[in-house]
Amino acid sequence: MARGDRISFRGGTQIDMPLLLAIVAVATLGVVNLYSATSVYVDAGKRAALADIYVSQVYWFVVGGLLAMLIAAIDYRHLERLAYFFYVGGIVSLGLVFVLGADIRGSSRWIQIGSFTFQPSEFIKILIVLVVAKYLHDDPKTEPRTLLDLAPAAGLVGLPVVLVMAQPDLGTSLVYLLTAASMLAMTKVRAASVATLVIAGAAAIPLAWKYVLRDYQKNRITSFLDPEHDKTGIGWHAFQSRTAIGNGGLTGEGFMQGTQNQFGFVPDQYSDFPFAVFAEDWGLLGSVLLLATYCFVCIWAVHVASQSKDRFGAAVAVGVGSMFFWHTIFNVGMAVGILPVVGITLPLFSYGGSSVVTMLMGLGLLMSVSMRR
Amino acid sequence: MSILVQRSDVGEFRRRYRWMVLVILFGFLVLLGRLVHLQIIEGDLHRAQARKNIIGELSLATTRGVIRDAYGKVLAANRPSYNVYAVPEQVDMEKTWPRIVQLMALDDGEKEELTKKLTDARAAGGTRPSQQTLLRVDVDRDVVAALMTHEDDLRGIEVVPVPVRYYPHGELGAHLIGYMREIDPDTLARYEGRGYRAGDQLGAVGVERRWESYLRGQRGWRKVLRGINKRAAREDLEPKYLEEPRRLEPVPGRDVSLTVDIELERAIENSMRGQLAGAVVVVDVRTGRLLSAVSKPSFDPNVVSGGSGMRAVRDAFKRLYADPLRPTLDKTISAAYPPGSTFKPFAALAALADGLIHPNTQVQCRGGYEYGRRFFRCTGVHGTVNLHEAIVRSCNTYFYHVGESIHIDRLAKVGLDFGFGVKTGIGVNPEARGRMPTRAWYTRRYKGAFRGGFTLLAAIGQGAATVTALQLALAYGALANGGTLYQPQVVRSIETSDGTVVQEFPPRVRRMVSVSDDQLARVKAGLTGVVVEREGTAFHETLPGTDMAGKTGTAQVSHVTPRGVDPEKVWYFNRDHAWFAGYAPARSPEIAFVVLVEHGGAGGKNAVPIGSRLVREWEKLKEKRASARASARRQPPKKGDKGAPDGAR
Repeated sequence: MARGDRISFRGGTQIDMPLLLAIVAVATLGVVNLYSATSVYVDAGKRAALADIYVSQVYWFVVGGLLAMLIAAIDYRHLERLAYFFYVGGIVSLGLVFVLGADIRGSSRWIQIGSFTFQPSEFIKILIVLVVAKYLHDDPKTEPRTLLDLAPAAGLVGLPVVLVMAQPDLGTSLVYLLTAASMLAMTKVRAASVATLVIAGAAAIPLAWKYVLRDYQKNRITSFLDPEHDKTGIGWHAFQSRTAIGNGGLTGEGFMQGTQNQFGFVPDQYSDFPFAVFAEDWGLLGSVLLLATYCFVCIWAVHVASQSKDRFGAAVAVGVGSMFFWHTIFNVGMAVGILPVVGITLPLFSYGGSSVVTMLMGLGLLMSVSMRR
Repeated sequence: MSILVQRSDVGEFRRRYRWMVLVILFGFLVLLGRLVHLQIIEGDLHRAQARKNIIGELSLATTRGVIRDAYGKVLAANRPSYNVYAVPEQVDMEKTWPRIVQLMALDDGEKEELTKKLTDARAAGGTRPSQQTLLRVDVDRDVVAALMTHEDDLRGIEVVPVPVRYYPHGELGAHLIGYMREIDPDTLARYEGRGYRAGDQLGAVGVERRWESYLRGQRGWRKVLRGINKRAAREDLEPKYLEEPRRLEPVPGRDVSLTVDIELERAIENSMRGQLAGAVVVVDVRTGRLLSAVSKPSFDPNVVSGGSGMRAVRDAFKRLYADPLRPTLDKTISAAYPPGSTFKPFAALAALADGLIHPNTQVQCRGGYEYGRRFFRCTGVHGTVNLHEAIVRSCNTYFYHVGESIHIDRLAKVGLDFGFGVKTGIGVNPEARGRMPTRAWYTRRYKGAFRGGFTLLAAIGQGAATVTALQLALAYGALANGGTLYQPQVVRSIETSDGTVVQEFPPRVRRMVSVSDDQLARVKAGLTGVVVEREGTAFHETLPGTDMAGKTGTAQVSHVTPRGVDPEKVWYFNRDHAWFAGYAPARSPEIAFVVLVEHGGAGGKNAVPIGSRLVREWEKLKEKRASARASARRQPPKKGDKGAPDGAR
């Protein structure tokens, strides 16, 4: 990285321009796409509430952006000391969901404060990054780890996973697990322990199927495995999403011209399937550009980690990067039909305050690490 | 990013970064591969599916052609019927329902029934509460207006217009005009490719059925864009996504003009008031066109065509089929009766042609005729009669004499020549063939024991011979016009909905019956005598001054009691059929008519008054129309009216 690419900040810190540009690019495309996605609700001059959510999304970007700037400005090493404190607060708020939670579509994920609802499980993602990073920071072993060594980290992640599964929210707990696992993958683990984990994981699948997963969650997985079986419910959603993407072709139908979206065939087009809208409007060319940007952010996070001065910074960068990565892979994966529909948002594309603010806070963390390499 | 600032413990992570980048690249490459697969390789497939999603076809209804009478009076047309539906779960039973009850002016029974229906539907599981439930068919226009006005307050109530066939003249000519029914699955399967759909109406009988393919018209369609959400139609986008042709206009059904005169039909109906059952046919002797066909008792085609709901249709048919007077049977075409004495002119012609009798041949009538060991009775003691007197007074003895000398096959041959025993080819309604028995027929029927008595009975129109009213009318038409047997016609022309004639049906001659003019004139003189001579069987019952000729008939009925008849009423069904067949005016005939009063008793007494009144009414109508035409000619249209659109249509 050439020196000219960095803008000087006080104390010798410099803004990471490539990262910032990539984030701004994705965020801009996200809002533009949201406008197209919800334009279907504009009806004969009367604008339904949903047609205006892109404006709220801009507000969330402002709020999240300010928070991200604040986080970026703070030296991340302060957060290392406060990690457990935040973590406890997060777990408490997650517990509150069961007490105060607003029930939306069969699961209680939201806490209402005034006219805002917020989703603690989203913010927990950041806390998991912080807390696992702190665990890695505090335990700088160089010899391969045993299962017992990993137990504290497993406990720290396991608690929110259990709480979120109880909401129930399969997608979010999956993100927790994958993010934490990606971070822990940076360390050496004994081969025997890895083998044990794999075997235990395989054994857990039937048990989870029987005792943990709800019917609708199982349904999503079976309809993914057997798309012909279910052409009405969730399978139909996945089918229409694939059709929308395929309909985009090489160059796309054009902005706000995708018929699948414009005629209401793309399900949950502003939350679960914004990528289908984007791919239909902009085609393969636009999609590749978007995915390349996402890919860049992920690789850049690894790059930032590789240059970090300490373990905490490196772990945080990897954590944010993997959170971003798994979100993108799962969301696009379910839109294109190679992964089951589990309700994981597309970073900065899906509508939702908690999601957007969480992602921006994470990217703020990444920025903070990047600025202090 | 100098090496110096790195802490030693970061080194543990160092070897993982390359793997992480590889995993990231792998993940995105998989997505990329899948995108290429969906958008490039399968792109056309998905585009086709996406188009299929948004393009729908809207069926454009056609209108069934109108049926008119010979003078343009509408016999069958279409009217909108309004059905009221409710979506049970949307109806507020506390507030809205009482208003609906009030607006629809439901009586207490209906209110209770429908309230129960709705509450049951609301309580039922599944989709029933959200499905349209029929409340009432064919509500009054006032109710429709009231419901429409308060539409916004009446959530869950819908008024749906359905086209219904409408017959302004009700029972009049119902058998001939016909009625509609809903297509059944069998017919639907058989008519595949003709554009029928489940729930369609089609002509069930009569002209409605026979001319179905003309009357029906053709549905059109329009391609439309449709989405998942109910949104305003995106007509602006139609040129972009819809391929041409985007629309096929429906073709309205052809209008059919009949030869029938509905006013004459009404006059006949009126003159039959006193009778329970029977048939009247009037044909034009110069063309064979059917001017009137009345079959009694009749039924209301409006009810059986479904305008008042399926239940009304079912009830109506249940009633109609249970009626021993058989209201659904077209007695002019679909039923054959023994002709009785109305057959005598044909027997006379046969005998004259063969030289078996001479106009002056005299036969002594002593009230009957001895043949073999049997005595064949006459209607009275007529003394010495010649042919003329025999026809005028309907002397059986004279014709028994004819029957003794003639071969039965000769009688059958002449009968067939005049169109008996064969279908007339009118094409409307299932036609009865009737029967002109031959010797072979009797031999087959009576196991080889043919007896001469059969011929005697055949000569007076009794025995096994049967004819339909229509056959008889056409045969009398042939007598009247000098021997031309026409093919009967019901439809005069086919027109497009704007009145352009697309097809006209000129009269068609079936056959020229070879009769000598002189012999025919003798017989016709007899027929005139029936009406005008004091001795004539029709004389006393004929309205004075009626210009017609004809022959009465009384056909014996086999004493078989129809099923389901009250024993107290059996006497009625054992009474003879009364006939009167003739033509008018007597000298230059224009119409031929047949009156059949089922179980009417003696022809002279019961059928003649109807025939006589019929001719009177026909004359009146003719006069009225002639003067209307004349006055129309006297007053040529004013200059200003020239360019004016044809307001009469």
